[in-house]
Amino acid sequence: MTTLSVTINGRTYGPTEVRDELTMNDYLREYLGLTGTKFGCGAAQCLSCAVIIDNPGGTSYTSPTCIVPAVSFNGKSIRTVEGHAKDGELSALQKAFIDHFAFQCGYCTAGFLNEGQVLLERLARKRVPRADLEKTIAEALDGHLCRCTGYIKYHEAVREVILADPQRYLL
Amino acid sequence: MLAATALLAMLMSTHAASDPPAETLATPERFAAIADTATRSAALFTEAGKVLTHPRCMNCHPAGDRPRQGDIQRLHQPPVARGEDGFGLPAMRCPICHQAANFDPAGVPGNPAWHLAPHEMGWEGRTLAQICEQIKDPARNGGRSLEDIVHHVGEDHLVGWAWAPGGDRAPAPGTQAQAGALLNAWVQTGATCPN
Repeated sequence: MTTLSVTINGRTYGPTEVRDELTMNDYLREYLGLTGTKFGCGAAQCLSCAVIIDNPGGTSYTSPTCIVPAVSFNGKSIRTVEGHAKDGELSALQKAFIDHFAFQCGYCTAGFLNEGQVLLERLARKRVPRADLEKTIAEALDGHLCRCTGYIKYHEAVREVILADPQRYLL
Repeated sequence: MLAATALLAMLMSTHAASDPPAETLATPERFAAIADTATRSAALFTEAGKVLTHPRCMNCHPAGDRPRQGDIQRLHQPPVARGEDGFGLPAMRCPICHQAANFDPAGVPGNPAWHLAPHEMGWEGRTLAQICEQIKDPARNGGRSLEDIVHHVGEDHLVGWAWAPGGDRAPAPGTQAQAGALLNAWVQTGATCPN
């Protein structure tokens, strides 16, 4: 057993004693009831289980949760799909996903949303030329699997958010 | 001379009945009967080559940008790439999944420095003789001296994981200290490469 304290969507959970073999995915879904984070392949291949990890320096990245021990998140601050909307207002990316009907079954959506959000935050820190935008989006979303094959719609939704505020995201 | 030739043949054969099992390494002393220094040196490297060409080492010294995994050396799943620093691409960094230690419930190996060898150090698909020449070449060994190579194989913590990989992974032959001793003896005898 190891003590786990983790901040999720701005709220601190723990300290809690958890088994060393507990995955972060089980901790989120089974311990906390945060079922927006999905369990897909169980091998970090589909990334439907990906969450955002916020570094103290202001950068962020995604991590799968299905193969990663919960205790490895001790002391970290993460965001899940439940944390994107603020005061009931969907984020720009969430709205774009809906506008583009970027999901069908929705199972992969949380992972795509988190990855897209990380991309937006990365571009806000370091803009890219417009000519590199398509490649940048494709590379960012690469690795996320959608069995409904909604890839282009996710891509278009992310692109729309970026092009809606080019001075923020593009050189 | 005859005895030395017979010993050499025994040590360098992969099928001799007297060969040690694949999971063991011969000590440098076993090569002492080989009178010719260059031949002995090459034989020492050949023995150490059991480690260098083992999946535990080869999987992270791929020829391409994608590591391999498992004893059958399949391409890494999920698809990942080396990246500029050997720690993966921005969205798929090695340490995100590979923690400081193995996580057996998910079958994920771990080490604090889990990463790929640089592209120029790829061994996959090469003969042991080619790997030997590569290891000696500072342009293709990370600027290391031969002593550095001995240290890398014999003492490096990440390399040491190969002898205690956990799960159902086959460990590298022998021990890390034995592998380091073999390479040290190889260096001391002139670092001759096998043909």
